[in-house]
Amino acid sequence: MLTRLAESLYWFGRYVERAEDTARILDVHYHLLLEDPWVDESAACRALLEVMGVECGEADTCDIDTVTRALAYDASYGGSIVGSMSAAWHNARGAREVISSEIWECVNATHIEIASRASASVPQPHKFFIWVKERAAILAGLADSTMSRDDAWRYLVLGRSLERVDMTARLLSSRHQAVWGDGGWTTTLRCCSAYESYLRTYQRAVDATLAAQFLLLDRLFPRSVLWALRTAEQCLAELDPSSSRVGFDDVARRTLGRARTELEFRALDDLLGSLPDHLAQLQNQCTAAAGAVADRYFRHTRPLEWTA
Amino acid sequence: MFSSADVPREHYRALHDLLGALTGEEFHARCIARDRAFRDQGITFSYGGEERPFPLDLIPRIVPSEEWAVIEQGVTQRVRALDAFLADVYGPGEVLRDHILPRRLVASSVHFHRQAAGVKPINGVRVHVAGVDLVRDAQGAYRVLEDNLRIPSGVSYVVENRRTMTHVFPELFASHRVRPVADYAAHLLEALRAAAPAGRRDPVVVVLTPGIYNAAYFEHSFLARTMGVELVEGRDLVCRDGVLYMRTTEGEDRVDVVYRRVDDEFLDPLQFRPDSLIGCPGILNAARLGNVAIANSVGNGVADDKAVYPYVPDLVRYYLGEEPVLANVPTYRLDDADERAYVLERLDRLVVKPVDGAGGYGIVIGPHATDEELAQVARDINADPRGWIAQEVVHLSTSPSYVGDRFAPRHIDLRPFAVNDGKRVWVAAGGLTRVALREGSLIVNSSQGGGSKDTWVLAGQEPQREVVAETGPLQRRPDVRPGSPLDLGPVMSSGQQQQQQQQQPPPC
Amino acid sequence: MDRVNSWRLLVRHSTTSRYAAEVFASYNEVRLTPMTDRGQVTVDERVEVVPAARLFRHVDYWGTIVHTFDVHGRHTELTVLGSSIVDTSARRVLDEDATWGTLALPTLHDDLYEYLSPTRFVAPCDTLSAVADDIRTRAATPSDAARMAIDAVRDRLVYERGHTTASTSAAEAWEQRRGVCQDFAHVTLAILRAMGVPARYVSGYLHPDRDAPIGVAVSGESHAWIDAWIGDWAPFDPTNGEPVGERHVVVAQARDYGDVSPLRGIYTGAAATDQDVTVEVTRIG
Repeated sequence: MLTRLAESLYWFGRYVERAEDTARILDVHYHLLLEDPWVDESAACRALLEVMGVECGEADTCDIDTVTRALAYDASYGGSIVGSMSAAWHNARGAREVISSEIWECVNATHIEIASRASASVPQPHKFFIWVKERAAILAGLADSTMSRDDAWRYLVLGRSLERVDMTARLLSSRHQAVWGDGGWTTTLRCCSAYESYLRTYQRAVDATLAAQFLLLDRLFPRSVLWALRTAEQCLAELDPSSSRVGFDDVARRTLGRARTELEFRALDDLLGSLPDHLAQLQNQCTAAAGAVADRYFRHTRPLEWTA
Repeated sequence: MFSSADVPREHYRALHDLLGALTGEEFHARCIARDRAFRDQGITFSYGGEERPFPLDLIPRIVPSEEWAVIEQGVTQRVRALDAFLADVYGPGEVLRDHILPRRLVASSVHFHRQAAGVKPINGVRVHVAGVDLVRDAQGAYRVLEDNLRIPSGVSYVVENRRTMTHVFPELFASHRVRPVADYAAHLLEALRAAAPAGRRDPVVVVLTPGIYNAAYFEHSFLARTMGVELVEGRDLVCRDGVLYMRTTEGEDRVDVVYRRVDDEFLDPLQFRPDSLIGCPGILNAARLGNVAIANSVGNGVADDKAVYPYVPDLVRYYLGEEPVLANVPTYRLDDADERAYVLERLDRLVVKPVDGAGGYGIVIGPHATDEELAQVARDINADPRGWIAQEVVHLSTSPSYVGDRFAPRHIDLRPFAVNDGKRVWVAAGGLTRVALREGSLIVNSSQGGGSKDTWVLAGQEPQREVVAETGPLQRRPDVRPGSPLDLGPVMSSGQQQQQQQQQPPPC
Repeated sequence: MDRVNSWRLLVRHSTTSRYAAEVFASYNEVRLTPMTDRGQVTVDERVEVVPAARLFRHVDYWGTIVHTFDVHGRHTELTVLGSSIVDTSARRVLDEDATWGTLALPTLHDDLYEYLSPTRFVAPCDTLSAVADDIRTRAATPSDAARMAIDAVRDRLVYERGHTTASTSAAEAWEQRRGVCQDFAHVTLAILRAMGVPARYVSGYLHPDRDAPIGVAVSGESHAWIDAWIGDWAPFDPTNGEPVGERHVVVAQARDYGDVSPLRGIYTGAAATDQDVTVEVTRIG
């Protein structure tokens, strides 16, 4: 398929996932702040912005409204929910012939509606977060039920999975900041739609270590980091089925494979003991893998400028 | 629609009765359904920098089959003649040597691209797709207003208008036999494949778009999707040694036919504007080598130049030896001193158009113009007579349209689309009826506040169907095999259900 | 019948472009192959490119032979070398007796429309129109007018390099009173066309030596002169005022320099730092 289309699908996958995950992360924090009367709101919000890669000035007051404006409503920022959905729309628009018209219509309707949804939900951001999660779920469902399992699908899922690894790592980082202590893990699991699954798996009350372990390492839960890494690896394997007897040529695949094995085969105590370092490393590995994918598959997608 | 006040023309009677039975509220509900459908599909056009849903008027325009037969024949004839003309001016130039058409008009046309001289299309076709703008005059005859042989657009609206109408107004179709328009893409694809280099067994066709910010991007994407071919941008293409490729994730794939929606001036930075970021250098020379077909061909604009337009009837006679089926609108050539003097005296009764204008821009309609506007256009004509033509005002036919919240007559035109595969010119049964939504306006372009109507070409008699009926009622039943019963999951017996209910007493 | 005096010339025209840094995706068209026309036969021709590229050949709208090629690998220098062997002789003009009445015929006017119209380089200006009007009132025939136009241009312009560029127009050259062969040609065209005499730009090469010895390579140059239609196309060389003959090699005939530039191309990457052009002409027969 055209490199430009592959790139558009990959980014479509990433942006929809980013919008959804950002909605989930904001939802957690919104609720935690409501539930926990002792938390230092300003510190918690600064920490969150930092984890999400947004700079915040020292002097300014930082509360949950600041955070929501920046990470949910700011249309000019590609990391906000509105910005991500808009970027997803642009990418889908450039790849309309390879996505089904149902997907397109859903993206387009979301794009048209999002501004009014956002402004209407300012007093109750939760409603907006729910709506974003639902739109993302419909998009995922439509992709699942209307797209052939060809390369177009693989690029979309690859983008989605890489983004999920990255965002879940960020969610865990934000939770692990000293500000929060050990509370609030139930809310965190709930916001990842992982609470019921966690309960059925462990059949005991939520505890910080187990919850982190579940979101990071569960082999069966589709929003865990491990699951997303495996999915991404599988997409890469299918995109380049040629296999040699020794090792892997594909830099992206090597990077992701290493990231996965480090999670999977490391002693749990070791892993959870220095979780922030591991999460930071995981994010670096994601960036490296994304760079390798772009290098290998998306070269020559920029127009050339000619000199006469 | 009406032959005289309040009496609908014969072929509109059924529609008139059906619409008459609807209340204003019911009609309004259909309008809302239409807007939602267009909006969700992203069927929009740019209007002053803003994306708006394309305005479809819900009252269709109906063309009876005998009227359509004339249009079809006339459009076909015109496309054949103009295709022959293009082959001539970019080749031997006999029409100029024979002084049928002044060389001056060709040589001074901004769309005459000498870079394309000597490029011989593989199957000889230069006009693969044409949109011929027609108006119905006061006598009921169709006349050609202009030809569009470069990048005629609007066909996606024809197909989408129909799809929307069948969703919004299914009952109208039950009472009319309307010829389908959805087969356009199949015909276009066949014509494009027919243009491919010889020996390419399964030719690769692509649609080339300027990109998602182009006003007609919806149409480009629509055409690629309905033909099932790649939609590419200039940056996806590369020419190497006279062969065109597209960049895929698995390497470079050869391309045989490019249905381009990028203007000539931006198509090949080597030949035209070197600052183009949306073209592909070398593509014209690849076409010259016969390694790729460009549809429509480079340089077609010389044939739809408005200064050449008055000569098209002569071109039809010259190349085909036939009398034109469709007449032109009476037109004055302003670089002729006598005609210019005549026109300048009667500017307030004529329509003046810039020769290389498009989209209705720059047109001055005498009877509606202010004195200053007329004085300005007189100065413009004197400064550049080659730049303008003047035409008699055609009293465009009107059709009832839903404007605001009531029905009112509005002026309409018709753009049928023709597809040429080199053996046959096929005209899609329908076309884009554009409607000037402003009261009294004669300008139908969507960029100037125009809308569109679904265009219904009524089907004539179809003898084959009648033959089938004679074989007897039993044979007419389709051959249907009964399917086996569907598998169902386990169902609790009513006893089980009862016992389960009895286990817990109701709470109150 | 007189034996036609004929020369055989070997022309080597080399152009090297250098770039500040690596460039790639270079697409080019070159026009440096002599045409076969009345009075001239191209016996052999070759174009070579370094870095190596596959060449394609076609004839353009004006009848000029064009070679096209593209170079995709990264490079900092691009050389195009055209070599040809051409037999030349004095051009025979079949008819130079057209009257002003002939030129006023509408059909003739239309047939030669492109050589009567202004172009980017040959644009009308008041001064040149006045010169043209003056000649027109004095010249009995178009043929006289052509000679008088050449004289007027040679009176006004001094041959001097470095004052004009490849994009200088006729009017600018006239104002500056100096220029090179391209400017002499453009000014002459402007005057002739203003009088209604069809005229075209001719580009090619000139052997500098009237008594050229055989087998000695000399440094020659790209040259430009004009054809005026005075019953037939007749060549005039306004730069040196001499008849056009064996020493002249025709590559292209068109409206102005813009239609015939020898090397035209686009590429991606750093700006070109300089261009080396050498023309070497050898009389070989």
